[in-house]
Amino acid sequence: MSGQQFPAYLLRAFRVTAMPTVKMTPHLYRFFPQLEGQTVTVPAGSVKEALHAINEQAPGFTDYILDDRGALRRHVNLGINDSIVFDRKTLSDRVPEDGTLYIFQALSGG
Amino acid sequence: MLSDNQLLRYSRHIFLPEIDIQGQQALADARVLVLGAGGLGSPALMYLAAAGVGHLVVSDPDVVELSNLQRQIVHRQDSLDQLKADSARRHLLALNPDIEVDALPRALDDDELQQQAAAATVVVVGTDNFSSRHAANRACLSTGTPLVSAAAIAWEAQISTFDPRLADSPCFACLYPDSNEQALNCAETGVVSPLVGMLGSYQALEVIKLITGAGTPLIGRLQLFDARHGEWQTLRLKRNPECPACASFVASDTSRD
Ligand SMILES: [Zn+2]
Repeated sequence: MSGQQFPAYLLRAFRVTAMPTVKMTPHLYRFFPQLEGQTVTVPAGSVKEALHAINEQAPGFTDYILDDRGALRRHVNLGINDSIVFDRKTLSDRVPEDGTLYIFQALSGG
Repeated sequence: MLSDNQLLRYSRHIFLPEIDIQGQQALADARVLVLGAGGLGSPALMYLAAAGVGHLVVSDPDVVELSNLQRQIVHRQDSLDQLKADSARRHLLALNPDIEVDALPRALDDDELQQQAAAATVVVVGTDNFSSRHAANRACLSTGTPLVSAAAIAWEAQISTFDPRLADSPCFACLYPDSNEQALNCAETGVVSPLVGMLGSYQALEVIKLITGAGTPLIGRLQLFDARHGEWQTLRLKRNPECPACASFVASDTSRD
């Protein structure tokens, strides 16, 4: 359940831990249909940890968006809340508890 | 100076205080380079022509194929097998004989791209491949020309504007580093027709805002549109200090008037 629906004081009162939500480009559902229509949540932490948590739910996911050194593939981009992530190599940016992680892809169609 | 006929033709722009006669004159004096006369380029060109942008330059190496006509609305049934640049020019002049249209029926090499970008007020890119988008980005960076970039595939689209005249503006390569990796394109994936219409029209809107100074263009913002669910996302994009494409242009003053 997404924590965003509850005010912070309720979350504290009931000791519910908010989890970041993941939104991704619909194109990824072609390869990972088990994620479609799901509210995907991951533990708060680094981008790297979040991506590996998605991989648990959709095996092969990190292989698809990360290269063999664990850096983001060049046609893939990430946003945390409303800002695009710069650290594409070590994926160190933090996805906060009430945050949203966006995963999207370069499009070249015209 | 705008003629009486032009004042009438563009009156619905001139009524807008953000455009007015000065803005319409700026559009008439502008030269816009449009790379790609396909799904995005078609509506972008048509709106720019109708809006009275005085000089349009259209570059596209391809000929019109039957499968283009589902969405590339500047071309018609009688354009089949013609060069897209020529077909676009013919239909744009039919829409507005007041303007000049140059057809460049070829992919521009780096030199010609550089020359054309230097002569242009704004560059619009809506090509179907990543390498031409990076080439346009490099030409715009080195000539200090604003670039309006959009792309659409299947039910998804993206748009942003990059303005190298501003020191803190990101560039296209800050968003997507240059590489040989294959990005998605619609040849194998398909695209829903009015989606390119929306985004190409949005590119024309960005151009008009850049030329007239109206409002706030999408500089430092990337917008993503999910057509299936009718959802827009706006993400803030900063200049990447380590971007190999724009880092070398930071120190030099690229501003023009
Ligand atoms: Zn850059």
